[in-house]
Amino acid sequence: MSGLPVADRQVVRRAALNLIAADRRAVAVVLVLHGAAAVAGLAPPWLLGRIVDEVTAGAGAAAVDRLALAIGGCVLAHGLLARYAQYVGHRFGERSVARLREAFVARALDLPISVIERAGTGELATRSSVDVTTVGTTVRDVMPVMVIAATQLSLLFGAIFLLHPLLGLVALTGLPTIVAVTRWYLRRARPAYLAEGAATAELTEALTTTAEGARTVEALRLGAERIGYGRQRIGQVWATRRATLALRSVFFPVVEASYALPIAVVLLFGGFLLDRGMVTLGEVVAAALYLQQAIEPLDRLLLWMEQAQRGLASFARVLGVGQQSEPAATSVATGTPRPRVPASARPGRLVVRGARFSYADGPDVLHGIDLVVRPGERLAIVGPSGAGKSTLARLLAGIDEPREGVVSLDGVAVTDLDPAERRRRIALVTQEHHVFIGTLRDNLAFAAPDASDEQMRAALGAVSADWYADLPDGLDTQLGDGARELGAADAQQLALARLVLADPHTLILDEATAALDPTTARRTERALAAVVNGRTVIAIAHRLNTAHDADRVAVLEDGRITELGSHDELVRAGGAYAALWRSWHG
Amino acid sequence: MPPQLPHAEPGTPDTRGPLRYIWWLVRCQPWRVLRGGLIGTAWMLGLSLRPYLVARAIDDGLRAADHRTLLWWVAAIVVAGMGLAYLGIMRHRTMTFVREDASARSAAVLLRHLSRIGAVLPRRLAAGEVATVGGADITHTSAVLTMTGPGVGAVLAYVFVAFLLWSVSPSLAVFVLLGVPTVVLLVGPLLRRLERVESVYRHQQGLLTTRAADIVAGLRVLAGVGGRGLFARRYAARSQRLLAEGYRVGAVNSWIESLTIVVPGVFLAAVVWLAARMASAGDITIGQMVAVYGYVAVLIVPVWFLLEGGHQVIRGRVAARRIVALLNLRPDTAGPTSPGGGTRQAPDRPADLHDPASGLTVPAGRLLAVAADDPAEASALADRLGRFVASEVTWDGVPLTSIALDEVRARILVADHDSYLFAGTLREILHVRADLGDADLRAALRTASAEDLLDAHPDGLAMPVGTRARTLSGGQRQRVRLARALLAEPDVLILIDPTSAVDAHTEARIAQRLRAARAGRTTVVLTTSPLLLGRADLVAHLRDGRIVTVGAHVDLLEQDPSYRALVSRDNEPADVDGSLR
Repeated sequence: MSGLPVADRQVVRRAALNLIAADRRAVAVVLVLHGAAAVAGLAPPWLLGRIVDEVTAGAGAAAVDRLALAIGGCVLAHGLLARYAQYVGHRFGERSVARLREAFVARALDLPISVIERAGTGELATRSSVDVTTVGTTVRDVMPVMVIAATQLSLLFGAIFLLHPLLGLVALTGLPTIVAVTRWYLRRARPAYLAEGAATAELTEALTTTAEGARTVEALRLGAERIGYGRQRIGQVWATRRATLALRSVFFPVVEASYALPIAVVLLFGGFLLDRGMVTLGEVVAAALYLQQAIEPLDRLLLWMEQAQRGLASFARVLGVGQQSEPAATSVATGTPRPRVPASARPGRLVVRGARFSYADGPDVLHGIDLVVRPGERLAIVGPSGAGKSTLARLLAGIDEPREGVVSLDGVAVTDLDPAERRRRIALVTQEHHVFIGTLRDNLAFAAPDASDEQMRAALGAVSADWYADLPDGLDTQLGDGARELGAADAQQLALARLVLADPHTLILDEATAALDPTTARRTERALAAVVNGRTVIAIAHRLNTAHDADRVAVLEDGRITELGSHDELVRAGGAYAALWRSWHG
Repeated sequence: MPPQLPHAEPGTPDTRGPLRYIWWLVRCQPWRVLRGGLIGTAWMLGLSLRPYLVARAIDDGLRAADHRTLLWWVAAIVVAGMGLAYLGIMRHRTMTFVREDASARSAAVLLRHLSRIGAVLPRRLAAGEVATVGGADITHTSAVLTMTGPGVGAVLAYVFVAFLLWSVSPSLAVFVLLGVPTVVLLVGPLLRRLERVESVYRHQQGLLTTRAADIVAGLRVLAGVGGRGLFARRYAARSQRLLAEGYRVGAVNSWIESLTIVVPGVFLAAVVWLAARMASAGDITIGQMVAVYGYVAVLIVPVWFLLEGGHQVIRGRVAARRIVALLNLRPDTAGPTSPGGGTRQAPDRPADLHDPASGLTVPAGRLLAVAADDPAEASALADRLGRFVASEVTWDGVPLTSIALDEVRARILVADHDSYLFAGTLREILHVRADLGDADLRAALRTASAEDLLDAHPDGLAMPVGTRARTLSGGQRQRVRLARALLAEPDVLILIDPTSAVDAHTEARIAQRLRAARAGRTTVVLTTSPLLLGRADLVAHLRDGRIVTVGAHVDLLEQDPSYRALVSRDNEPADVDGSLR
């Protein structure tokens, strides 16, 4: 189930035409140059035909020398023209690819967070890596080859027509079978090769994960099971390879046999025309040689057809990402653009009134939440897994909108706030963190573009990121992708340092340390302490100590707030919280 | 014949060297390789047939205006075309079978080896290395086998065309036979250079792709903190730099590509000139002249094939060397994880484990919790008790290292908090013993308080879980690991931090159910959580590598202030709790 749409045929065609239109002159120059190069490439067989005629007519060495020299000249001209055609075409391809990838990233960055979450970043990641690259390869490498091959073919067949129209007609005898078998092949090739690629990747993954999990394999004695799983993958690879081989087993021989047919027919029919004096022997020979020469570009064209088809499919997926971002400016609920309300920087009153929420069309996970968060207070939310704690956190942060009821900040619905403003005021900290490839400074600067180095260092100090001292180049140290990798705790501290720089007045902590191992969690919790000072804090509590020290505790069970009050009040009340606290504290 | 894959038994590879390994892959399928050689040779010889037939059709049919003969030769061209198409596809099929058989065999022996080598592997080898070996290296090694059949054919085809040329004109033959390899040797390195320039460009393109993927992966962070415009601008700047690099590459490459047209073209022109001179002098016929033109094109195939093959062998040898190196990895034969190490029997009844290094005794049949000041010491203790390192640990008085390793693995399980979760359905992940039914799996999930996982997914136990269970939350992963460890039902179960990522409510439930599920069997829990410690029969406090106190949780809370400090974290002012104060 992919949440991202795929562009339809029309959109793809329009986008492709736009690419060409944006570079109209370059495209025209490329076509003219390739055409000229192909003409120069066709000359040698024609000249050979002339030689045949001259020699048959009993011409001497001088005529032969002259024609042979002409062949050499044509080869040089072909080389030169091809060079410039390639060069201009290459530049056009590069420009188009750059335009495509930049537009893609810009569109991806414009996606609203709800769309990203619905689609999953995995799907988007595939499109950004696999599909953008495939489109790039197609535009940059495949299209030129196909353009050259197509130009050469049309000129070759055109040349045979010029020799004699009837010869030209009979030269086409091989085409119907080639067209038919190619259509047959292309319809089946893409899914078959995609399946082959997927199966191959799975086998590699089976080997890699077996190595990565070697300790677990030994501890749980999973060796036989892993071998069984891998054998299945090998079988799967073989099945998909046989499927593609079966397709080729039809496609290749039919095409190859079709190459011989027109040569034979041209010779036969040429003999007929020769008898009637309608053509010369040299013309028939040239036609046969042209057909011989057509095999190579035809082969190339057919071979790349499948890749071009794949490129088109990727192109549709790349363009699809752009389509999704359009409804972003309008609200899902009303379908009309919303006024963006500027917000003040003063700590505000966060109020939840009668909020109900369901994911997609599922059942409600929150059943009418009423909650007033006082400015500057520390509120802990506790409750069993699946009670709706994280959902409530997302509503409070304005990421999701309640199906019913409202979440407001100083009287304005949080989802109506301008996203940039909202981010400045409310920040949601989850287990998720991401270190961007780039310098440490890059990783901090985007949270507060105006921050000085001094402020950045102070922010790192505030979250006790003591690893900063070990960095060889300070803020200029490269992080990620083969450079220095930060551990989970360090990465979480970096995320917190960003928060210090962004300086929101309300922090929502959703089990920010739950995915870390206990020691690391403790270090991160210390870092958190520095961040929360002077702010409103809503903490989804993981450890009861957190709840113990909060101003108030809200117990969430089955999508309802069942208890609300200070720790002491709740313990006195003797409800579910009190029972849990007793078992925790022994 | 298509091979039956996967092989029932992949056999024992020759790992004395890369070429010996490749030779082993050949020896496993001698008849298929021979068949490939014969068909490949026939196909390449067949390639030279068409120019010959065309020449005969021109000379004997067209020029002589002999329609009957022309018809015969034309029919021969069609039949030869079909025959060639048949040979071509048979060659392709046979060689595909040869390569696939080799690939499947390589994958199978690698898989077998990786599954058996055990815990020593991650210490010796980066996972990325296995990915290279398991992907590209297998393919490159198999590609060498292409040389076995058609490689022989290429040489024979060359000789055959030489013979044909010789019959036309010895001097022309010498010129062509020497000229074609010269042209190939001239153009080959140029293409190789093209590839190199391209690979540099592709590397940079890959870096840019990584950037885009990086931005996409961090989209949620950007949505939370802002800074999208900055990233868009930075990406565009990098993209423009790659564009400039692309222009440079294009300027160089287009010249190289042009040379690949000019060099063979000039050679062909020279051949035509020589042949035409001979024809005009009457030394050869017109048809022969045209045939020579065709032979040059035909000769390119085997010569080019041999050059390509040479590179395949070089690349395949490097790849096979990596495969062989991996296959030659052995578990430490003298160390604690040697497969054969130890011959003594494990105790046949529940028995105490004793670790002299820390002074810990694990009482048989009880639930023992160990609270360690330093988590590193906790995992070191688990490694000793589970015999992942050499130690003095005894089981019922017998040194653990003297017991057969397989026996130890079957009866003592160390469940790491980050133990690996393989891709598969939830059922497959939990199915760690052959005799387990769905009811057992559900019961274990209940003990681990992970029923919500089943409720949340319509497929229940059939829900697909990706590698490392990345689609699950940290808490869900941990509970799946716990359920899996319980299902292994070892005599001694050692759990490292089994509940660190779950909320207090769930943890309380797990503590209660774990105790019931392991009743009567030996269980060690390494944890600092009061909810788990409170449920244990006995708690030991590990400090500076030694057990300092042993007793009930409540007693330790009273008697051991450092224990109290450890489990309630009261002494850490900078905790979240502290921060919320």
